[in-house]
Amino acid sequence: MNTLRRGFVLGVFCAASAFCTAQLRISVPVAAGAEVTLQAPGSGNTTLYLFGPGGASKRSVQRGAIKLSSDELKTAGHYTAILDGSSTSFFVIAASLDNVSFLAHPSRVPTNTGSAVTGTAFLFDRFHNLVLTPTPVSFRLALEETSGEERRVTSRDGVAWVQLNSGRRSGPARFTASSGDLEVRRVVQQVAADPCSIRMKAGHAPDGNILVETDPIRDCSGNAVPDGTIVTFTSVDEAGRSTVDARIKRGFARAELPPSHSATLTVAAGVVLGNEIHWGGGER
Amino acid sequence: MNRVHDFARRSGIWLAMIGLIILFVLASIPPSMLAAGPRLLQSFDVSSSAPRAVEPTTALAIQRDYVHAWQSLASALEENRSDLLGEDFIGGAQQQWQEAIRAQQQNGLSRRIVDHGHHVRVSFYSPDGSSLEALDTADLEIEYREGSRVLSTEHVQAHYMVLFTPAENSWKVRILQELPPS
Repeated sequence: MNTLRRGFVLGVFCAASAFCTAQLRISVPVAAGAEVTLQAPGSGNTTLYLFGPGGASKRSVQRGAIKLSSDELKTAGHYTAILDGSSTSFFVIAASLDNVSFLAHPSRVPTNTGSAVTGTAFLFDRFHNLVLTPTPVSFRLALEETSGEERRVTSRDGVAWVQLNSGRRSGPARFTASSGDLEVRRVVQQVAADPCSIRMKAGHAPDGNILVETDPIRDCSGNAVPDGTIVTFTSVDEAGRSTVDARIKRGFARAELPPSHSATLTVAAGVVLGNEIHWGGGER
Repeated sequence: MNRVHDFARRSGIWLAMIGLIILFVLASIPPSMLAAGPRLLQSFDVSSSAPRAVEPTTALAIQRDYVHAWQSLASALEENRSDLLGEDFIGGAQQQWQEAIRAQQQNGLSRRIVDHGHHVRVSFYSPDGSSLEALDTADLEIEYREGSRVLSTEHVQAHYMVLFTPAENSWKVRILQELPPS
């Protein structure tokens, strides 16, 4: 029974004569990389052909116990052994889990967004065969020193996947997939979401222009919107419309608009509109 | 009367020549192509795809590319040409079959696959669209050869776990792993 469990019994029942007809019997599937012994009763030499998904071999063997090496059986799939004109098929299945291939998406994500981060783990043995037995996999997304969000799922057909919410705080979050002793880590940069509100003030620039500057721009969780985010200032007066794009620098955005006696000043970033100032007439 | 007889004789010669041409053309088609048949993919079921549904255009692209992948694999294994795999296979699947072909070449062996069709059911399509997994039940006749001598032939109902990944303009087979019958 142990021998059966270990993998392979291939009985070849044939008379040891030139006219023997081999009858081949197959046991349970063999684990990839296992060594296997094929029994071919009789004596003398014969030729063994072995076709598999990762190889094909032909060799002269002595009847009796014919060893198939672990190298010959490292790819999971269907194998066919041909001996004395008779053939048998058997299966090699994946060995134990040895490697987790983890795809995390996206690499940057806005904070506090539902189902924004997806992780897919593919489970492989050491020969890169997909491990198809259901296996528990834990996914965890967390900033350092926070508990973050964790989910346990069981793989199906060699794949486990998860969709997680991004955290409330910005920063590099560790996204891990683990199963048994194996852990694979990716980093997902959680960045501030869209600004929650934008508030600007206006004043006179030394050269006579209108100097506009925002308060610190934050998302609704209080994270500073990243430097480099474009903020658009617009002035509309009787001469027409003037627009200046400025990047957030150290949390603020500032720009100079053309001088005007009476203008309406607005500010926006992406889809978020800030306050409006009537220059020369007070804030609305 | 002679003219009628002459016309009949000429027509016969022409028909014979056309017949010969047709035979010649048929003979020049690789056996794998003849074996492939027009309806390799007998069904393609995306109803159990999770967590993401497969869009119709994606489903069509995968069907096209998977059929082509099997045609390439059959030709590659029969002609021992691993260069035929590059267009349809990638990663582990490509490496695995390349090794099989190299080993066949070294030992003077080959195998011919007569493909009677596939029933494919998509089970997983990743939310980001970067991978798609499907179970294929294939009806295959496999002929194992040494040179031109047939060593053995088997008819199998094979089950494959297939993992596809998108490439620039096609879906490639990353894993093609045969499963034991359940």
